[in-house]
Amino acid sequence: MKISRRNLALGATMLAMPGLLRAQSSSIKLGFTAALTGPFNEFGEGINRGAQIAVEECNKAGGIGGRMVELAEVLDDQLVPDRAVQNLRRILDNKDIVGLMCPSGSGPTLAIADMIQADGRPIINPQAQTPAIVYPNGLDKPPRPNLFSISISNTVESEKLAAALTQFSRIGIVHESTGYGVTGAELVRQEIMKRKPGARVTVESYNQRAQDMTAQLVRVQRGGAEAMLVIGLGADFAVIRRNMSRLNMSLALFGAAGAVTVPYIEGAGDLVAGTRAVNHAAFGRRPMHGAAQKFADLYRAKFGTDRWYGSDAANPLISLAGTVAAGYDCINLLLDAVRRAGSTTAADMVRALDQTKDYEGATIQKISFTPQSHVALKLEDLGTYEMLKRGDRVVLELRD
Amino acid sequence: MDDFFFSLLLAGISVGAVYALIALGLNLTFWTTKTMNFGQGSLMMLCAMLTVFLSSQGLAVALAVLGSLVVVAALGMFIEHWTVRPALKSSGGSMGWVVSTLGFGIFLQGLAAKYFGSQAVAFPDVVFTAQDFVTVFGQYVSLQYLVVLAVAVALILALELFVRKTVWGQAVHAVSLDPELALVQGIPVRRLVLLSFMLSSVLAGVAGVLIAQIGGTVDPAFGFDLVLLGFVAAVLGGMGSSLGALAGGLLVGILSKLVGGYVSTAAEHGIAFALLMLALALRPQGLFGKPEVSKA
Repeated sequence: MKISRRNLALGATMLAMPGLLRAQSSSIKLGFTAALTGPFNEFGEGINRGAQIAVEECNKAGGIGGRMVELAEVLDDQLVPDRAVQNLRRILDNKDIVGLMCPSGSGPTLAIADMIQADGRPIINPQAQTPAIVYPNGLDKPPRPNLFSISISNTVESEKLAAALTQFSRIGIVHESTGYGVTGAELVRQEIMKRKPGARVTVESYNQRAQDMTAQLVRVQRGGAEAMLVIGLGADFAVIRRNMSRLNMSLALFGAAGAVTVPYIEGAGDLVAGTRAVNHAAFGRRPMHGAAQKFADLYRAKFGTDRWYGSDAANPLISLAGTVAAGYDCINLLLDAVRRAGSTTAADMVRALDQTKDYEGATIQKISFTPQSHVALKLEDLGTYEMLKRGDRVVLELRD
Repeated sequence: MDDFFFSLLLAGISVGAVYALIALGLNLTFWTTKTMNFGQGSLMMLCAMLTVFLSSQGLAVALAVLGSLVVVAALGMFIEHWTVRPALKSSGGSMGWVVSTLGFGIFLQGLAAKYFGSQAVAFPDVVFTAQDFVTVFGQYVSLQYLVVLAVAVALILALELFVRKTVWGQAVHAVSLDPELALVQGIPVRRLVLLSFMLSSVLAGVAGVLIAQIGGTVDPAFGFDLVLLGFVAAVLGGMGSSLGALAGGLLVGILSKLVGGYVSTAAEHGIAFALLMLALALRPQGLFGKPEVSKA
C-alpha cells in the first residue's frame, strides 16, 4: 500500500489529537500532605475537608476558564516530619501539580520548607505557627519567595496573649516541648517583658501526651503565679486543667489556639469554665462576615454537625476556623491566583499571590500579601474568648 | 510538711503505682514463659477506649470497665496463643516474641484508630472526680490519686499472697523455675501460662483505666510511653519480683516528680532511663531480684 504525504500528515494529526485535547481541557491540579490519620488528624483531616469544599465550590461554578480543579495528590504524614518530606517529594515529582498547601504542624512544615522553596511552586500554610516557616532568616529579612501563610502566627498570637496576660504581675507559662511550644512560649515571655518589665514569668515545659503535670504546676505555683498560659494541644491542656483541680490550684487560666479544641472541652469537662483563649475572631463575631458564614453553611451541608462543626447548627465551633476553614482559604487563594494570573506557571502564580489585596477569606476577613509580607493574619483577626458553662453546654464568648 | 514537696511526693506515688501495675503485668508472663508482652500499652489503651465506648452506649461505668477487662483478658489468651507461643517454638529461645508482641500492640492501635477514631476522647470519672479531695495534716490529697494507689497496692499484695500462700501460686513458682520438670510433676503448665497472660492483660487494663481517669482523655497512641516506664520499674525492682515491681514503680514515679519539681521539668522523663542504666551497670538483678546462676 502506498502512503501519501497527505495521509501521513493526517494520521499524525489524529494521533496527536487526544494529547492536544487533554492539554486544553486538563484539570488544574493541586496537592498537599497532612495528618489525615493518627492522633493529630483533627488538623490534617480538617484542612483536607476544607480543601474539598473549596474545590467542589469552584467546579460547581464552572472551574477556572473552563478547567476543572482537582486535588490530585493528597497524602498522609500523620504529622511526622520524615513522612511529610517523602510525601512532598512524590507530590513535587508530579509536574502537573501547580500549587500546594503546607502540612498541619510546624515540625512537618519546617521539614519541607527548603524543598518547596527550591522547587518554586506556590504553597500556602494553613496551620503551622512557627514564624521561621515564612521568615527563615528572621522577621526583618525577606520571606521565602513562594511560601505564604494564613495561619495564626506565633508572633501575632503572642502579642494578643501578652496583652491579656499583662494585667497580672506574676505569670506562669506551661508549654509543650515541641518547636511550636518552645517558640510560642519564648515569644509570649518576650512580649510580656516588653510590655511589663517588672513582671515575673515562670516557664515550664512538658512532653506531649504526659499523663501527669504536677511537677510543672507546682513550680508555677511556687513562682507565685496569678495567671497561667498553656501553649499546647487540647488533650494535654485537659490533663493540665484536671491536674490543677487535684492540686486545688485556682488562678486565671489562658490558652493558645490549641486550647479551643474539642479534646480540651471534652477532656476537662466542667473545669473548662473560666478558661480564656485566643483564636480566630471570625467565627465568634455575630453576624459572621460573609465568607465565614458561607463556609459554615457549605461545611454543614456537606458534613453535617459533626465533631469539627459542633452540635449547634447556628453556632459552629470557634476551632472550625483553624482546623477546617484554613484549608478552604488556602485552596481558594491558590485558585484566585490562577484566575488573576491567567496562568498556572509557578512564577505567574507567585506574582499574583504577592499582589493579593483584601481577599475575603473565611478565617481572615481581609487577606493581603506583598513581596515583603507573606503572613496575612493581623492582631485584629484574633479574638480572646472566655469559656462559659450554659446548662449542659460549654460556650465560648468573644471578649476582645 | 512543705506543700511543694508533698504535692510532688503524692503525684510521684500515684503515677509510680501505675508503673508498678504495668511492671507486675510484665512480671507475670516473665514468671511462666520468660517473655514479656510489649503490647501491654495497647491493651491499656484498648481497655480505656472500650470503657469509653461501652459507657457511651448507656452502660454503667463500672459495668463498662468490667466488660472491657473481660475483652482484654481474652486478648491476653490470644496474644499467648498467636504471638508468643509460635515465636518461642520457631525461634528456640531467641527474642522473636519482642517483635511479635510489639507488632500485635501496633495492630491493636490501628484497629482502635479505625473503629474509635484517632482523636483523644474524654474518659469518664470512674470513682471520684478531679475535684474530690480529703485534707490530711492540712494538705489537699486528691481522692483520684488515693484510689490509684489503693488499687495498685491491693492488687500487688493480693498477687504476692496468691503466689506465696496458694497451691496455684506454688505451681506458678515451679513453672518459673523449671517448666519441663513442672510438667512432669503433673502441673498444668499450659493452663498456667494462659492464666498468666490473661492476668497480665487484666492488670494492664486496670492500669489503663486508672491512668486514663487521671488524664481525662484517651486516644489510640495512649499507653506506649507508660509501658516503657513500667519496664524500667520491673528491671529496677528485679524481674519477677512483685514487691520489686512496687518498689521500682514508686521509685521511678517519686524520683521523676522530685527531679521535675526541684531540678527541671525537662529532666523529668529522662531520669527513669538514667536510673535504668545505673541499675543495669551496678545491680543488674534489680533491688529485689536474685542474680541468675547458670549451670554448665
